[in-house]
Amino acid sequence: MIFGFAIIDHQKLLKNYIMKAIIKFTTIALFLGFISCKKDTKEPEPTPEPTPVATTGSLKIQFDHLVGATPLVLNQNYVNPKLDTFKVTKLKYYISNIVITKNDNSTFVEPESYYLLDASNPVSTVLTLTNVPFASYKSISFMLGVDSARSASGAQTGALSQANGMYWNWSSGYVMFKLEGSSPQSGASNKSLVYHIGGYSGVNKTQRNYNLNFGSPTANVSSGTTPKVHLSVDINEFFKTPTLIDVATQYYQMAAGVNAKMYADNYADMFGFGYITN
Amino acid sequence: MNKIANIFFLFGVLIFASCKVDPRIVEPLPANNLVEVVPAGWPQPVYSFSVNTITEDKFVLGRALFYDPILSVDSTISCGSCHQQSAAFAHADHDLSHGIYDRVGIRNAPGIFNLNWHPNFMHDGGINHIEVMPLGPITNTLEMGADINPVIAKLQASSKYKNLFKKAFGTETVNSQNMLRAMAQFMGLMYSYNSKFDLYKRRESNAELSDAELRGYNLFLTNCNTCHKEPLFTDFSFRSNGLAVNPFINDTGRAHITGEAQDRFKFKTPSLRNIAKTAPYMHDGRFNTLQECLDHYANVKPNLVNLDPLLQNSGLPLSTQDKQDIIAFLNTLTDYKLLADRRFADPN
Repeated sequence: MIFGFAIIDHQKLLKNYIMKAIIKFTTIALFLGFISCKKDTKEPEPTPEPTPVATTGSLKIQFDHLVGATPLVLNQNYVNPKLDTFKVTKLKYYISNIVITKNDNSTFVEPESYYLLDASNPVSTVLTLTNVPFASYKSISFMLGVDSARSASGAQTGALSQANGMYWNWSSGYVMFKLEGSSPQSGASNKSLVYHIGGYSGVNKTQRNYNLNFGSPTANVSSGTTPKVHLSVDINEFFKTPTLIDVATQYYQMAAGVNAKMYADNYADMFGFGYITN
Repeated sequence: MNKIANIFFLFGVLIFASCKVDPRIVEPLPANNLVEVVPAGWPQPVYSFSVNTITEDKFVLGRALFYDPILSVDSTISCGSCHQQSAAFAHADHDLSHGIYDRVGIRNAPGIFNLNWHPNFMHDGGINHIEVMPLGPITNTLEMGADINPVIAKLQASSKYKNLFKKAFGTETVNSQNMLRAMAQFMGLMYSYNSKFDLYKRRESNAELSDAELRGYNLFLTNCNTCHKEPLFTDFSFRSNGLAVNPFINDTGRAHITGEAQDRFKFKTPSLRNIAKTAPYMHDGRFNTLQECLDHYANVKPNLVNLDPLLQNSGLPLSTQDKQDIIAFLNTLTDYKLLADRRFADPN
C-alpha cells in the first residue's frame, strides 16, 4: 500500500512537475522571443572592452632633395651633368601608392596614398604613414606620379585637388613632376627652364615605380619609436641617364608624349635610400 | 475576406517590387524629379552619379554656376553664354566660340545632352571625365580665361554661393571638387531621349514617321549609322571626315592631345540628336545647314591626310532625294522636351 500510494503520489508530482515545466518553458520561450525581437532594433549590448593594447604606430618618410651630393636650395646655382649652370625655382611632384615590406615579406599598403611634395614647403616633404602595424620594415615601394585610375576619376580633393596647380585642364591629367628654374645656357629667350612632365596612360605614361631597400638597420615601428626613413632625391638624375639633357635645346616641356616619356625615363633612377633614424 | 486577401496580395507585390526595381532606371523621366535615367535599350552610362549622389540642392547650385558669368575672369561669360537651351545647349549662329574681350575661339561649341555616356569631352577628346570638363572652357584664354583658384575665391566671397554650397554640401567652404560635382550633376541630368523618333521607336503617343522620314531613317542606317551609331547617334570615335584644313586655324584635332601623326585632323564624332537645332555644323562651324553637311559627305575629296576609310570613294552615294529624306529623318531627332524643360533654364 505504502508502495502503491507512493507510486500515485509520484505520478501526481510528475504531472505537476511537467505542467510547471511547460509553463516555465513557454514563459521563457516567450520572453526569449520578445528579447530577440527587441534585439533587432536595439544595438547589441556593450561588452566591457579590454584595455586597448596598441598594435600600430607611425613611420615617417623624408625626401631629401639633392644636386649630386649637395643639398638643394631653391634659387641657388648648381652645375648639371652637362656642366651647365642652373638654378631651381620650383620643384613639385606627386608620390603615391606607398607600400612598406616587413622582414617576413608581408606588406603594409597605405590606403589613399597620395602626396604632393613641394620643395619650397619643407613640411610637405615629410610624409607620415599612420596605422602601421608594429614590425620591422626592410623596404619601401612607391610611385612618382598619380596612377592612371585616379587620374581619370573626376574632381578630387586634398593633394589631388584640381586646384593645386598640378593639373592640365585641356588634356586631363596630373603634372606628375614639375621642375622650373633658369640657366644661362637655356635656349629660351628669358633663359628659363620649364619642365612639366605628365601623361598618365599608354606607352608615354610618366609615372615611375621605385623599390628601395633599407639594408641594416631596418625601420622598427613600435609603441616607443616612430622611425624616419630618409630618401634622397637627386635632381641631377633628371638631367642624365639615359638621356643627357642639353638645356640649350631641351629647356621646355609641357605636354604628354614621347618627350615627356624621355624625361620620365631620366627620373626613373632619381630616388635612393638614405638612412634611418629609429 | 476577399478584401483582406487582396490587401495581402498587394502588400506582397509591393515588397517584391520594391526589391526588384533598380532605382536608377526610371522611364519616362518624371517631370519634376531629378533621377538618373538609362533609357531601355541604351548602354550603361560611363558616369552614374555613384560618388555624386543626386540632390536638388546640388542641382540648384550646378544650375546657378552654369548660368553665372562669375566663372570667367572678368565676369562676362557664363557656360550658358555659348550653351543655349534653345539650341540644345549649343551656340546658335556662332561658328566659333565667343569668349571674354570678344575673343574668338578655334572650335564650335557643341550641344550638351546625354553627357553621362561620353568617355571623353571636347572635339579632341582631351578631357577625360565629366566632372573636370568645365575646367577646359573656364581656363581657356579664348573662352572664359580664368584660373580655378580666383574663381573659387570669388564664389567664397559671395554670400549667395556660400549659402548654396552650405545647402548642397553642408559647408560654406567652397572647393573645386564640390563646385565641379554640382556642375556635373546639372549637366549630367540633361537627358535627351524624347524626340519624335524616340517616341516612334518606343511606340508611344501614336508617334508615326512619314514616308520621307522612314526613307531617311533607312538611308541613315546604310550610310551614317556606323559612326553616328544609335541610340546615342555617335560611336565616340575620332575620325577625319574629309574637311579641308582651315589654314588660319590649322587645328590638328585629336593629335593635339596624343601627339600622334595618325590622329592628325581627326575629331570626335558628334551625336546627331537635336542636330536640327545646333547649327552651324562641324568642329569649326563651317557649314550653316544640314544640306551643306550632306553635300560634303556626298562629295568627299580623296587623299586627305588620315581620311576615314569609310569615306574613301568620294564619300557617300547620296542622290538629291536621298539627302532630302535624310534631313527629314534628322529633323525627327529634336527633343523638344529637353529644349523646353524649365529645370535647365537660366534661373535669373
